[in-house]
Amino acid sequence: MTKRFCVSLTYAKNDTDKATVAFVVANAAVASDKESIVFLSTEGVRLAQKGYADDIHEQGFAPLRELMANFVKAGGKIYVCSPCFKKRGLDENKLVDGAVVVGGAKLVEFLSENAASVSY
Amino acid sequence: MSHFPATPGCAAEVSPREEWDAGTMGCGELVLELREKMLALRPGEYFRLIARDPGAPEDLPAWCRMTGHRLAQANHPQYLIERRKEP
Repeated sequence: MTKRFCVSLTYAKNDTDKATVAFVVANAAVASDKESIVFLSTEGVRLAQKGYADDIHEQGFAPLRELMANFVKAGGKIYVCSPCFKKRGLDENKLVDGAVVVGGAKLVEFLSENAASVSY
Repeated sequence: MSHFPATPGCAAEVSPREEWDAGTMGCGELVLELREKMLALRPGEYFRLIARDPGAPEDLPAWCRMTGHRLAQANHPQYLIERRKEP
């Protein structure tokens, strides 16, 4: 059984349902002792900015800010697509805890070493 | 602390060290919180969980297989889990 798990997320406030469920599944992965990452790309990178997710709270789920913080607290990492981040003029000094801006090589390395992945 | 009733063919009645009624919490939220509670126990101690989420009967056995905790008894919504030996 693979020990690495990636959740790929391309949505933010343009689909808060998908953004929320992605982090719920990421929490299941990290809770199951998987080395876990959430890869944020295209619109998803906005979630990496401090404060952005504060008002996202889907019915029936914990607030997204809480889901993200719990994921990181349990050892999960958030990879943020560098070109997507730069394109949107976001601030790398205002990243949420656990987030790191990465290029494609970092993602490819993670996925190439027996990782499973799911996309939202 | 309540006792978890023995079921036919299973080990004698055990007294869980801790218990938690998770209500309708499910999926990643449930197992992430459960993880913290299980790791707070000593190896071999038992945890009684009540989980009413409809996914729990499939999720909890899978989670136990992946993490090494032992699902001693499952009678939805009641579950008895033995903490793993490893840290």
